[in-house]
Formats: sequence, structure tokens, C-alpha cells
Amino acid sequence: MALHVWWDEPADGPCNMAADELLAAEALERGTICMRIYGWHPATVSLGGFQRGADARAEPSIAGVPLVRRPSGGGAIVHGSDLTYAAAVPKTHPWGGRPQLLYDALHEAMRRVLGGFGVEATLWRPSGPPASLVSGEAFFCFDRRSSGDLVMLGQKSADGRGHKVMGSAQRRLAATVLQHGSLLLRRNSDVPPAASHPGLDDLAEGGFSAALIRPLVAAWIAAVAAPLGIEVVEESGRFKDEDVVRGKSHEFASDRWTWRR
Amino acid sequence: MAAAMKFAKSHEWARPEDDGSVTVGISSYAVEALTDLVFMQLPEVGRRVKAGESLGEIESVKAVSDVYAPVSGEVVAVNTALPGSLETLGRDPYGAGWMVRLRPDDLAEMAALLDQPAYEAIVKSQPH
Repeated sequence: MALHVWWDEPADGPCNMAADELLAAEALERGTICMRIYGWHPATVSLGGFQRGADARAEPSIAGVPLVRRPSGGGAIVHGSDLTYAAAVPKTHPWGGRPQLLYDALHEAMRRVLGGFGVEATLWRPSGPPASLVSGEAFFCFDRRSSGDLVMLGQKSADGRGHKVMGSAQRRLAATVLQHGSLLLRRNSDVPPAASHPGLDDLAEGGFSAALIRPLVAAWIAAVAAPLGIEVVEESGRFKDEDVVRGKSHEFASDRWTWRR
Repeated sequence: MAAAMKFAKSHEWARPEDDGSVTVGISSYAVEALTDLVFMQLPEVGRRVKAGESLGEIESVKAVSDVYAPVSGEVVAVNTALPGSLETLGRDPYGAGWMVRLRPDDLAEMAALLDQPAYEAIVKSQPH
């Protein structure tokens, strides 16, 4: 048994979503945790599975930015200055039960690893009911807080809740759990401030060099595997043949999917 | 008198009714495991589904989950009040928290589902 990880080249939104759905099938077939680390080209907004298309259209800060709807929940993310991962486990996996298990496992591993890089972060815990149950949720993921989000408290944020630097959301399929997550590396200068949130390089004392990102993620994956007592297998090449992914991407590129709500 | 409720491994319950329909919902375990439900999308009356196909979706603060049809059939009723009062699922998942009623193609499909002791054994074996 091992943790299998693929480092994929940046791709467009529909191809990334298609590859992640294939990753869920891969995890079920292998019976273990599988991960994909990837970027986006072009820069893309991913919308949470249940967010309203009208809300995206009404958000001026993302006008003209390509948009894809994720199968997972949560808020919108402007990709391009973040590191995105997908992790999939069978529901029979120790982290396949309640949603918080996989969420906390991956975020706590990142918290510990960031500490080793001199970056202090905390898993956020709510003191009351979620905002969504009280007064509706913010449009952007990084303006929301839910239990287990990775936040940096050291730098003061306007709302006093600290800056969220990592958030994740899941799609719970019949036999597998697919979790998407995003670690913000720096502010995205391609979009207006309303859609741009500070990342590691903006918040960490002395910044966070781009050269450290690959070692950070490699250490994170090792920290994810450690409590499971399994080795990490870094797979060579892309996760799936480009034609296979492209063929499946059409459903995520369709208006029917993108504007389903 | 209605037959006993049965369960799918994916945590839906199904209860045959006296009129031949099957009422479907999700178990208290599923409600508790998802925590903080925020949105639900249910099918329209008249939709046909096969056993194991998605009947609808539920969003919690962290996750989107499918609700799967435990048996094949046609949707003949939908609990339209439920998406507006998701707290009902937590209070009464096997009563007022019902989601849809199906007219089953073949009631014999119920035999493939789990009885309560077998389902509870699966729940106990789930990671916590």
C-alpha cells in the first residue's frame, strides 16, 4: 500500500476537473489514497458545486476570467497564484468517513510542515454556527471560514479572523471521497483586490520563495503518508493521457454543467 | 401495514408503503456525518431513475454528496418543504425528513438492500 502522487502540468479548468474525477476512480481501483498536484492555464475561477451562476456573473472582480464549476462544495477560488491539489480516498479508507477526517488530516499535515519552514499557521475552529447557516456565505472561498481551514493569525486581517491560506472541499461519491484544496502562494495580481487574497509570500515574515514550494509540497505529501504508515510513490509522467482527460473534459466545459444553478 | 425499512450502503433508507410506493431518505448517521447541511437539490416528479443513480445532492459546509436511488422507478412525490428546512433532517430523518417517493419498477429490488441490523453493523465499522 502506498500514497500515489502525480505532479501534473498546468491545464485548463475542464481538464483539471475531468482529471480529478478520474483520480477518484483511480483511488477506488488501487484501494488507497491518490493525490494530484497541479496548476491552471489559463488562470481560472473555480466555482463551488452549488454556487449560483448568477452570483458569479454579478461579481465584477472576475469578469472575463474563464470559469469552471467544481464537483466539490465550497466557495469560488481564483486560481493562478495558488497551488491546487486533489486527493481521493475510498470511503473504506481511515479518512473516508466523516468529511472532517480527510480535511483535518491534510490541513494538519500542511500546518506542521509549514512550521518547519518557519511559517506559523493554525487550524481554524468555529465558535458558533457556520455563517452559511446564519446569514449566507461569502462568494470567495478565502473570505469564508470553516472548521479546519488553515489560517495565519499573526498578520492582522480586516475582520480579525486571520488570513486563510489553505481551504478544501469535497465531493462525496458513492464509494470514494474526492477532496479539492488550494494553498495560496501569493496575491493574484491579475484580478482586482476584491478577488485577490494574500498568500504565503505576502504573509510570511521575509516572504516565501518560489524555490521552496516544491520542497514544501514534497514534505507535505510525506507528512500526509506518515500517520498512515505508508510510503509515497511519486508517479512519473502525467496522471492520465491527455486525450483521455480531454475526452472527459467536455462535461465540465458544457453550459449545462457550468450554469446548472 | 408497511414493510420494514431497509438501507443502502450509501446511507439512504427505503420504506415500502401500503400504496406500493417506496419512500426514500437518508439515515441519521449520514445526516450526522455530513454536519451543517446548507443546501439540497431534489429531483422533479416524473423523473425515472435506476437503482444506484443519483436522485439529488446535498451540500454541507465542506462537501457535496449525492443521494442515490435505492431502487429503480419513477419519482411520484418530492418533499418540496425539505430544502427550505434542512434542520428537519436532523430532527426527524425517518419521518418528516423524507426526500422522495418512488413508484418502483420491481419491488423485489428491495431484497438487495440491508436490513437494520446489517446496516448498523456497517455504520459501526465506519471510520470516525
